[in-house]
Amino acid sequence: MKLTASSIRDEIIKGNMDIEDYILGKLELIRKNDKKINAFISIDSEGFLRERARNIKMGIRSGKKPMLAGIAISIKDVISTSFLPTTAGSKILEGYIPPFNATVVEKILKEGGIVIGKTNLDEFAMGSTTEFSAYGPTRNPWDLERVAGGSSGGSAASLSYGAADLSLGSDTGGSARLPASYTCTFGLKPTYGLVSRYGLIPYANSLEQISPMARSMEDLALLLKVIKGYDEKDATSIPRAEEKSYEKFKVCVIEDLVRDSDRPIKSSLYNLLYKLELEGIETEYRERLDYINYALPVYYTIAFAEASSNLARYDGKLYGKMGNSETYKKASIDTRKSNLGLEVRKRILMGVLTLSEGFKNEYYIAATKGRRLIRDEILKVTKDCILVSPVSPILPPRIGEKIDDPLKLYAMDVYTVIANLAGIPALALPSSFYNGLPIGVQFMGKPFSESSLIRLGLIIEKITGISGVIAGG
Amino acid sequence: MKYKIGLEIHTQLTEAGTKLFCGCDSNYRKYKPNTNVCPVCLGLPGALPVPRKQPIILALAVAETFNCRIPESMVFTRKHYFYPDLLKNYQITQYEKGGGMPVCLGGTLKYYDPDLDLWKKVKLRRMNIEEDPGKTEYSEGNILASEFAYVDYNRSGVPLLEVVTEPEIPTPRDARKAVEYLLLTMEYVGAMNPRLEGSFRVDANISVEGGERIEVKNIGSTLDLERALRYEIFRQRKIVEGKGVVERETRHWDPVRGITKSLRSKESEEEYLYFPDPDIPMISTEPLLKEVRKRNITTPEKIMERVSRLGVNRRTAWSLVTIKACAETFLEAVSIGADPIISSRILAIDYKGHLRKSGMNLYKRKNWPDPIVLKKISDLIRNKVYTYDEIKYNIIPKLVNDPKMIHITLPEKASPEKLITEVMNEERKAVWDFYQGKKEALDYLVGKVLKKAYGKAMDPKKVRKLLEESLYKSSNIY
Repeated sequence: MKLTASSIRDEIIKGNMDIEDYILGKLELIRKNDKKINAFISIDSEGFLRERARNIKMGIRSGKKPMLAGIAISIKDVISTSFLPTTAGSKILEGYIPPFNATVVEKILKEGGIVIGKTNLDEFAMGSTTEFSAYGPTRNPWDLERVAGGSSGGSAASLSYGAADLSLGSDTGGSARLPASYTCTFGLKPTYGLVSRYGLIPYANSLEQISPMARSMEDLALLLKVIKGYDEKDATSIPRAEEKSYEKFKVCVIEDLVRDSDRPIKSSLYNLLYKLELEGIETEYRERLDYINYALPVYYTIAFAEASSNLARYDGKLYGKMGNSETYKKASIDTRKSNLGLEVRKRILMGVLTLSEGFKNEYYIAATKGRRLIRDEILKVTKDCILVSPVSPILPPRIGEKIDDPLKLYAMDVYTVIANLAGIPALALPSSFYNGLPIGVQFMGKPFSESSLIRLGLIIEKITGISGVIAGG
Repeated sequence: MKYKIGLEIHTQLTEAGTKLFCGCDSNYRKYKPNTNVCPVCLGLPGALPVPRKQPIILALAVAETFNCRIPESMVFTRKHYFYPDLLKNYQITQYEKGGGMPVCLGGTLKYYDPDLDLWKKVKLRRMNIEEDPGKTEYSEGNILASEFAYVDYNRSGVPLLEVVTEPEIPTPRDARKAVEYLLLTMEYVGAMNPRLEGSFRVDANISVEGGERIEVKNIGSTLDLERALRYEIFRQRKIVEGKGVVERETRHWDPVRGITKSLRSKESEEEYLYFPDPDIPMISTEPLLKEVRKRNITTPEKIMERVSRLGVNRRTAWSLVTIKACAETFLEAVSIGADPIISSRILAIDYKGHLRKSGMNLYKRKNWPDPIVLKKISDLIRNKVYTYDEIKYNIIPKLVNDPKMIHITLPEKASPEKLITEVMNEERKAVWDFYQGKKEALDYLVGKVLKKAYGKAMDPKKVRKLLEESLYKSSNIY
């Protein structure tokens, strides 16, 4: 069954589908399935959803045609909502209800979207499997023994079992694309500055973007259209961003960006490239890039440094309950120790180390220099060529399989961090299945070339025939 | 024994209108605790700092005024330390290392010493724009006696300009004069009102030859600055003379007891984990400087020059300049034709004295005379309709209460001769005392004549002169 947000929206606008019935159907699906999948941290109340559905219905009757009319949207719980708690997957933000909406949430509400619930993630988006959530791991609807990827695992899972028809994730080093590839969904990390970060609880500010997620290319493009644009509340958002599309497609494969992937992943990619060539799209093979091998250490050094700073505020003053201790300092330490997870504390410690006098030059400063080299190289390559690579070098791991080996865990991000370091847009979409498990493919373009990526994505969607697919559906 | 003084002056840009990174009010004093706040200055997760234009323009204006080397672009930096009044546990500031860049990299603070009538200089190391933290208050007033501490974040995010001098200020008195001049300049620039409570704080570094550098924190007034420095020089000299060791430390100024107390020893640099704030792109200074230059900024030095060139003596000129409202009144009056010498004397000496005596605010422009009135009055004196003293005694006291006085009504001129005769007849004892050589008897008699003339214009100097003449004329009677 093909089920896309765009087709639902059209049925709703035409009056062929009742928003209230549709939303209550979603709620029913969540009640039935989410106990085992755990895609959601919080779900909106039935009463509130009914009222919202009725309001949108009334708007449509009076002639409005909002872009997201009635569509059930799930939102990663790291994006602030004033009507639902926003936990960032952490115990320290348990019960925190922000006094404001993220800019993207405002835009979604304005276009008639219905926020059905907030989705699970690795604590503060730090992870690639959604196993580091304080609210338990999210399971992959395609295989409940496996992870849904991370950190936007809850968003991806909610789409793939049909609990939501659009979703917002965030992508710091692949956090939207990796779970998309593990769940047969679509994720797009926009050019840095295209989408406002206002209201996104920061992990690594200079790398991340709020990212649309969906079950089809058309849906993905629709959600991006709604959320993008300059926001005066975010100094890093870009005013008057102009589209810079490619005149004609050329897809470049770099051997360095494929070599270490598992066999099913590699063959899926080459198979797709062959079909693209048949469609008349030029492909070019290249051996290597000079600085790409530094991408992973550079990425993690910068991400941890920024994270250690961003997370300094969670000390019991406003978040988490500060106990009684002899000193203020000890009270802060105790609060952090008992409310932040091990992985988060690990990353904070490493971040502090990389910023400390005596280490800063070797780590943080060196990483910023490395980042510049990587960015320049990637910007040069993507000028006339869309880079293609796997999203993840492996198939979705089993729950618990990777969590004990941090280096293997971090290596899952090897292909995705590049786009974040360079600030360029990157699209992940399904390419095939292997033994019933989804495999994804990634395309990276030059800054503000989203429209080209979307056009290419539509071609690929036609080639693979994978669109609007629901797990077990 | 030689010593070196260097200062870090934290000034609030109180007139910026907004906080540094959000739209909350820069003048936080009028609000109930924790009501002048928003997600940004509370550092809520996901709220983002967006640099506001006005604080940055004002900081650049101050930097321009002190001939600063202003970099092409500035970069805000995060400085980390865990403290209750700092919600994010990092302060957004500017720092010249690690990829950061402040608003000013070296300049000159030229300040005026009115006693020596001399312009002096101290080199500035840098200026940086940063956000003020919140404020901690203790239930019993101090940390030791209190069970509770309360934090008010109304001040959190208020723009500060930190001005750092080289350690080359010669004396505690110079330190005071330099800071006073800095504050006055910032007031002229329109950046701050230094009379607002807590609008500036000074940290002073001082090292006496033979000892390490001591930092004294928490100095809240320029008078305290001079006192704290004198105290520290005395204390450190005693230690060095007694062959003791002055170790590097941070001390706290206690203005009530007039002493400094050790706060912590500073064995090594504190670890602040500085790095550029990724939420704030670098800011090009050039377009902002263009706006600054359009504003035609005045400084006390420029006003001092203008006033002096009008023929006003330096002492009176400085007295005008030290109060911006007074200097503005003067310049406006002169521009419409008031006599500069007469006007400056009225404003800087007699009017100012009356304002002070009546406890009125010298810094409010509306408490100073309307320039048109001032011109009319100075014309009366210049055209010799009345003497300066007649105006001084009869008009100025009334003008203080009615600075926009529309009808300058001088009472009819009374003839002093008749009153003098009357007084001399009534006050025979005093007259006798005068002849006995008691000079104060003359003052008494002058007073009596003026009292009789109450409500009528009379020049006391003239009365004195006439009275003396009459007394000598009558001396043969006695």
